[in-house]
Amino acid sequence: MGYKLLEGVRVLDLTMVFAGPMSSRILSDLGAEVIKIESVPRADVFTRANVYPENKPGEEPWDRGCLFHSLNAGKYGISLNLGTEKGRQIFKRLVRISDVVIENFSPRVMENWGLGYSELRKIKPDIIMGSMSGLGHYGPLRDFYMYVPGMEGMSGLTYVTGHPNEPPLLSGYAYGDWVLGATAAAALLVALYYRQRTGRGQYIDVAGREAVNCHIGEIIMDYTMNGRERTRVGNQHPSAAPHGCYRCKSNDNWVNIAVENDEQWGRFCQAIGNPVWTKEERFADALGRWKNREELDKLVEEWTSQHDHYAVMELLQKSGVPSGAVLNMKEVHLDPHLIERGFFDVIGHGKGIGKRPIPKQMPAKFSGVESFLPRRAPCFGQDNEHVLCTLLGMSKEELKRLEEEKVIGSAPTFPPGRPTRIDLIEKQGAGWFDPDYLSELRKKYGEDIGLTGTG
Amino acid sequence: MGEQAFSDLTVLDCTQGVAGPYCTKLLADFGAEVIKVERPGEGEVSRRKGPFLRDEPHSEKSGTFFYLNTNKKSITLNLGSETGAKIFKGLIKEADALIEDFTPGTMSELGLSYEILREMNPRLIMTSISGFGQTGLYRNYKSTNLIVYGLGGAMYTMRSANKPVERPLVEGGLQAEYVTGLLSFTATVAALLYRASTNRGTWIDISAMESVASTFTGHIAEYSYIGLSRKTNPWAIHGYPIGYSVPCKDGWISLTPGIGGAPNIAFLIGRPELQDDPLFARPGARMAEPEKFDALLLPWLKERNKWEITKEAQELRLAFTPVLSPGELFEDEQLKAREFFAKANHPVMGEITYPGAPAKLSETPWQAGRAPLLGEHNEEIYQRFGYTKEELVKLREQGVI
Repeated sequence: MGYKLLEGVRVLDLTMVFAGPMSSRILSDLGAEVIKIESVPRADVFTRANVYPENKPGEEPWDRGCLFHSLNAGKYGISLNLGTEKGRQIFKRLVRISDVVIENFSPRVMENWGLGYSELRKIKPDIIMGSMSGLGHYGPLRDFYMYVPGMEGMSGLTYVTGHPNEPPLLSGYAYGDWVLGATAAAALLVALYYRQRTGRGQYIDVAGREAVNCHIGEIIMDYTMNGRERTRVGNQHPSAAPHGCYRCKSNDNWVNIAVENDEQWGRFCQAIGNPVWTKEERFADALGRWKNREELDKLVEEWTSQHDHYAVMELLQKSGVPSGAVLNMKEVHLDPHLIERGFFDVIGHGKGIGKRPIPKQMPAKFSGVESFLPRRAPCFGQDNEHVLCTLLGMSKEELKRLEEEKVIGSAPTFPPGRPTRIDLIEKQGAGWFDPDYLSELRKKYGEDIGLTGTG
Repeated sequence: MGEQAFSDLTVLDCTQGVAGPYCTKLLADFGAEVIKVERPGEGEVSRRKGPFLRDEPHSEKSGTFFYLNTNKKSITLNLGSETGAKIFKGLIKEADALIEDFTPGTMSELGLSYEILREMNPRLIMTSISGFGQTGLYRNYKSTNLIVYGLGGAMYTMRSANKPVERPLVEGGLQAEYVTGLLSFTATVAALLYRASTNRGTWIDISAMESVASTFTGHIAEYSYIGLSRKTNPWAIHGYPIGYSVPCKDGWISLTPGIGGAPNIAFLIGRPELQDDPLFARPGARMAEPEKFDALLLPWLKERNKWEITKEAQELRLAFTPVLSPGELFEDEQLKAREFFAKANHPVMGEITYPGAPAKLSETPWQAGRAPLLGEHNEEIYQRFGYTKEELVKLREQGVI
């Protein structure tokens, strides 16, 4: 559920791919009215052409991509070509009735279109404009070509992520993009708060690499205070042991255990039945355990590998020892705690996709605030009429003319829809497939999950 | 430039560690008066966490505490004592927001539940941060950065793409904590905006496990669409395992071949005759035989330095970038030009350099500042609430402050 906290705030969203849509998705979950602007020649292809339901691209693949659905739920969508003079004129009219503009083009694009902050401000003096990029909108390296590996790699985070004596590891899930998007959403709210007090807008420049760097503050300070270059420590804690990710009984089944102090060590030993090795002198205090952590980890893993991860977690947590299963994507969907908390919203997608559980992007509960179920991510050009006719007061004839002049459209320029190469993913060991995913989901989220024609 | 965005706000901060303090640090860095409520005597836990200045453990020399508590004020107060709870209620009357991260249920046990505090201040925003939320099966579970990172699902995808080291890995530093802190900040500011238009407060319940699970929504959605559980970064997109760092002469670079830009790699490595080779022209071909692609690219990289490679590649519009160590960030010309790193003077630590603004706002900028000494603002804050110097002495003797 989203919450109607930002009712009346209208956001024009020119962003594509992951980070930008994440920022506006967070605002949308907080109740803002987000209008996503794409165009026929330039749709959000990267996410629209993603994994399709049941691996079938279908006839209109651009409206079926799962990454697009989860990043854009709750938003309105229009197709407006800013490469045309008419398109830019209409955009300016929309700016006049909006509060926020977000974009993540390369630094020169908006200026070249005459849609930079100084121009938009002339049209709407209190507009808030946010620009998102890898390295920032000014500075000698601002035009660097980069994606999320660049943002993470140039932030310092990658360097300190990895197993000891292994190469630095980039995140497996575009974490830097999330940080950029979430930081931009936060900064836009700061600006909205200031505008609410003073009536003044402003311009925001968010650099993904800087946003990520803010998330390793204590590591940076070990360098600035002590000249120490921290490096990769795997899952180890700087002073406590056992602390790590341990193999469990089933295939690719893992559990985290974090014993933070002597008291928890005592409870841990008791919980696992006080095997002889727990009495060894070298493990008696925190320093001894930390010094002998490699051997300790092996002994702990001998025990964990006889059990399943959830069983280890329940046993240890019952004894007051921090422990948690490492959940895969299937288990995240089926986890009883997340289900009880309502982490997933079940959203109907129509078009042969049916209902699917979509994760919230603002996972907070606000008591006493009216909640709502986000609408599905917009089909391409879905809200052209609502936005251009209802909001801007154009006539249906004008709309038709715009379509003929290719300023707006109902189908994007799109590559042929291709199924995901399941064979390659399996061969590379990059993931695994659960053939029964729909029936598993139906048990938890309702019998109509994934059924065609159920909304 | 105008005044600071939150210069009209007073926030009570009853948090420790990373997530809560990062949330309130952002409020303070953008201008709110944040009053950090610490336990008399020892103060909050980060004061005892490294890194310490010159490796000298000292409650006023923790870099972790400094970074996460810039621009805040510190008072000491024993919430467990009856007098302490009463004083706290007085502070609540004048506060706009309270951020707390006690174990769920603790505030109620202290007689300081949202229901009670709301009676004293109907417009109060209370943000409760916890590992698993105020409700649900895991509510009383113990959480750490590692634990919620694994339960949130992100850890399962943390394995090297080209050379799978099987054991999942936690992201460097304390990312589950920062993620939760950032979302808590955003939720709190949204509630402040709601209050401005409706005059109503709210109680926010935010969990670290769910915050982590919200960071990789694309991987999650793949399960409900095709039953896929990824174990690493998606290869299929650029036809190359972008989820690892590629070795060069003086370290590593990260590279994304790009859907359109890959033919230029042939020019980069001085083999223009290969530009139409499927390995460079088609992601699918690269994906099928990554070792062939590596055999052409890696020897060339191995003879060159990371910045040398980056500059040449960027001229060819290739997304190759260096993997920088924390220290190397201080030589980066872009960060210098943007004056990213901040400096502040601390009475015990001296001049300290630390990461600056997460975003640059033109009218209401982020501000640099230092962390408070333990109880540094007791007199200022308590006298504002009508306590005399003599009363403060008595409260100190009783161990309340």
